[in-house]
Amino acid sequence: MNAIKGSLILFIIGLFCHTASPKTKQEVLQEKVHQLMEWSNRRTVIQMGGSKFANYVKSKPRNYSVIVMFTALNPKRGCSVCQEASDEFTILANSYRFSPAYSNSLFFGVVDFDDGQDIFRTLGLNSAPAFIHFPAKGKRKAVDTYDIQRYGFHADNIAKWMAERTEIVVRIFRPPNYMGTVVLVLLFSLAGGLLYVRRNSLDFFYNKTFWGVLSIFIVLGMTSGQMWNHIRGPPYYHRNPQNGAIHYIHGSSQGQLVAETHLVMLINAAIVVGFALLSEVHNPEMEVSKRKVFAIGGLVMVVFFFSLLISVFRRKYQSYPYSLLIR
Amino acid sequence: MGRMAFLKMSADKQDTLLKMLVLAVCCILSFSVRLFSVLRFESVIHEFDPYFNYRTTRYLAEKGFYDFHNWFDDTAWYPLGRIIGGTIYPGLMVTAAAFYNVLHYFNITIDIRNMCVFLAPMFSSFTTIVTYHLTKQLSNSGAGLVAAAFMSVVPGYISRSVAGSYDNEGIAIFCMLFTYTLWIKSVKTGSVFWAVLCSVAYFYMVSSWGGYVFLINLIPIHVLACIVTGRYSHKIYVAYTTVYSVGTILSMQISFVGFQPVQTSEHMGALGVFGLCQIVSFINFLCARLSSAHFAILWQTMLYIVGTIFIGAVGFLTLSGKIAPWTGRFYSLLDPSYAKNNIPIIASVSEHQPTTWSSFYFDLQMLVFMFPVGLYVCFKNLKDYNLFIILYGVTSMYFAAVMVRLMLVLAPVMCILAGIGVNHVLTTYMKNLDSVAQKDKKGRTKSDNSYPMRNEVATGVVVMMTIFLSLFASHSVWVTSEAYSSPSIVLSARGGDGGRIIFDDFREAYYWLRHNTPENSKVMSWWDYGYQITAMANRTILVDNNTWNNTHISRVGQAMASTEDKAYEIMRELDVDYVLVIFGGLTGYSSDDINKFLWMVRIGGSTDRGAHIKESDYYTPSGEFRVDSEGSQVLQNCMMYKMCYYRFGQVYTEQNKPTGYDRVRNAEIGNKDFELDVLDEAYTTEHWIVRIYKVKDLDNRGNPRT
Repeated sequence: MNAIKGSLILFIIGLFCHTASPKTKQEVLQEKVHQLMEWSNRRTVIQMGGSKFANYVKSKPRNYSVIVMFTALNPKRGCSVCQEASDEFTILANSYRFSPAYSNSLFFGVVDFDDGQDIFRTLGLNSAPAFIHFPAKGKRKAVDTYDIQRYGFHADNIAKWMAERTEIVVRIFRPPNYMGTVVLVLLFSLAGGLLYVRRNSLDFFYNKTFWGVLSIFIVLGMTSGQMWNHIRGPPYYHRNPQNGAIHYIHGSSQGQLVAETHLVMLINAAIVVGFALLSEVHNPEMEVSKRKVFAIGGLVMVVFFFSLLISVFRRKYQSYPYSLLIR
Repeated sequence: MGRMAFLKMSADKQDTLLKMLVLAVCCILSFSVRLFSVLRFESVIHEFDPYFNYRTTRYLAEKGFYDFHNWFDDTAWYPLGRIIGGTIYPGLMVTAAAFYNVLHYFNITIDIRNMCVFLAPMFSSFTTIVTYHLTKQLSNSGAGLVAAAFMSVVPGYISRSVAGSYDNEGIAIFCMLFTYTLWIKSVKTGSVFWAVLCSVAYFYMVSSWGGYVFLINLIPIHVLACIVTGRYSHKIYVAYTTVYSVGTILSMQISFVGFQPVQTSEHMGALGVFGLCQIVSFINFLCARLSSAHFAILWQTMLYIVGTIFIGAVGFLTLSGKIAPWTGRFYSLLDPSYAKNNIPIIASVSEHQPTTWSSFYFDLQMLVFMFPVGLYVCFKNLKDYNLFIILYGVTSMYFAAVMVRLMLVLAPVMCILAGIGVNHVLTTYMKNLDSVAQKDKKGRTKSDNSYPMRNEVATGVVVMMTIFLSLFASHSVWVTSEAYSSPSIVLSARGGDGGRIIFDDFREAYYWLRHNTPENSKVMSWWDYGYQITAMANRTILVDNNTWNNTHISRVGQAMASTEDKAYEIMRELDVDYVLVIFGGLTGYSSDDINKFLWMVRIGGSTDRGAHIKESDYYTPSGEFRVDSEGSQVLQNCMMYKMCYYRFGQVYTEQNKPTGYDRVRNAEIGNKDFELDVLDEAYTTEHWIVRIYKVKDLDNRGNPRT
């Protein structure tokens, strides 16, 4: 039994050797293209590891060109733009897949840093994402690397570059994003419904406390740099990789961490509440016993939190000469 | 004797005198706190753009308004030239020239440069007065005085209005607040007179700054808010229709604005609200004339007809592809991060950065939390005109958070609302102090306002406010002195012995050009220095800070990034006589041309003719930008490198370092011994910051020199 098995394996190996050697270039190509077509029918952007990349992109013969995105999608790598770039790339690939220009002369692939570090090294890539075009004929030139710094990773721009490199023109078709529309419609219908239900008493719309709280909230959010967070997307806190110490306050005045902005927002809010308490003391409807508590409480809150604010600022701006109560 | 006279004055007069004294002190303070740079250095114009404004002002003062308006400048953008009269906001230049002429009429012979240097501090004094009046309209004169005091020293405003920063923003904030004051006045009175004055102020604003767009959107928003909250009245109708129609016609007289107010989308809001005002007034009119039953029928039919037409129009236009309201582009309007995330070049400009909380604190200090307190007070006592300041506060808050340079628009409203807040706190507690309260006792019995320890708490609050306010003043002066008072044309550094060393190389080089080169010579430099060269050296330049022609800038970038023979062809083609570069390697001045060089490469390679210039060639194989021997060979043989480091290889710059040690890049340069084939070194300033080269002519047989 064992002998039969052994001979069978031998036979198979022999068969392979036998068939591989006289296989013409043409056949190898056909097989490759066939395999790629099959993959790209399943997923338009082909996932590539080290061997796939070497076989289908690096090695000759090829009669097709490949556009490969080099990226690092693992959240551990902390590449925030990679996901967006990947989405745009997928949109381009899908637009190509369903366009009249679709043929077996161009494929899309993706190499993740975690699957193929050596590929990154051999290509001399030290940043992700990167888009590189591997042409069917001739050597890869410098223009075959897409200049993300200059053009950004909008799918239209990548398509323009692709058209220059491969002469395949694709019209970008974005899957319409109904999410925003649905949310808007929901919001409007909710607001409309609320207005309709309470159509006899629209007081809350004219309620100035509501608007007052809303605008003070906006102001506190903006002055504590939430817009900066929204645009830049900093981490919540910073962990020092050497000693594992956690920092909640960014050391320079150029940047900030989310935790720090929340702290500043709370401090500012506390000072404002303190002042509001101080001003409520003179409301004639208030009981006399409460007044003392309100007045002293407000005063203490204001002084304490302002000192705290200055000391937080001093952490970021070391040469700042002023302080109050807290160093 | 004087004291007797003061005592004899009635309380009213004493009050007025005190207010005027406080205001006068605020004005003097706001002028003098902006003079740090004049006292430290001398009366010079700062930075880059102000030099252009200075040059145009000089032209206006010498040649008159009509020549200025028709001015075609052939000394910039050689050989293209630039139409100046029609492409600038002339308000700043006209203001400075008018002051200059008036003073000369009275035989006060001030120099035009001094007029330009001191214009911004002078206008900030005016701004404090206007702030007082605006806040007085909104609240009371006590709040006005506090707001004026805040305004005189708030760093967010000082940053753009120190002596020497002769730029549009310096007078635009005054114009903006003046327009607001007159707008509040016309809403309060409903008189055509104030409304017309308001539109004249608006005209002045339009003539001086592109930021008028904020103003022409804020006023309609105020009107709209009044309509929605049912505060709409004839007064608002009169004020708005007058301001809109007169103001729009006046603003179209500025040739740079032209027909924009009736064509572009950012002005459409104002037009829409103007139309809405007419409709609302018509409905009110009908409502008054018809019985309620008839009116209800009319109202419903109108509603259905207008609704159907609107939905039909939107549907038709969407289907026919004229408008696309449901695409990503539509949401990108609502999301400010969209453009920044997708276009890296926008993200790299420092003025377009969003604002961190620390720069809010740096520029506004205690106003950051007194501003919500002021909002709170305004909401407690809501009026038509209070609504305006609330809207101004919240909208400008949003813009300042998105873009750091718009802090300038936020600073005034911060001062006003914080002034209202501080005034509210102080007036309520000052009453509780013993010395004041005793007077009350005579009149009536002890009020129910009291509580135990009232006097102690009041003293505490007043002392606290005093400390806060003085801290604010010290903070502002410190920020002004540390951060906002360097002219950047004259540099200073601390020497080894702690003394101040002044680098005046820029002016040395520009004056050398002025006195030692033929008048018609053309100077090539990177665009940052264009305005300064035309203003100070009075020579023709190829590109300047008005970056309107990208291909021309790109051509200059190509010349800088090419090898000598290629660069020589470009320089012959552009008819260049002199080349000027900024080099900081000897002194450690970090914003020099080598550090800007990658931008020259990028911009140079961005056009068809520069397609051979590739950014990657200038990096090491591992992607670094290095000037030492490991750096790319293309970089070490390009024009910019050779011009900056010519003869630098023989110089010792730091102890224990080899010759040719670059103090900015902290590296020994890689290419030390070379000669220039197509250039002669014409002049190098004392600290090597500016180096000027003369382009050699063709040799005797008419062949190039390489």
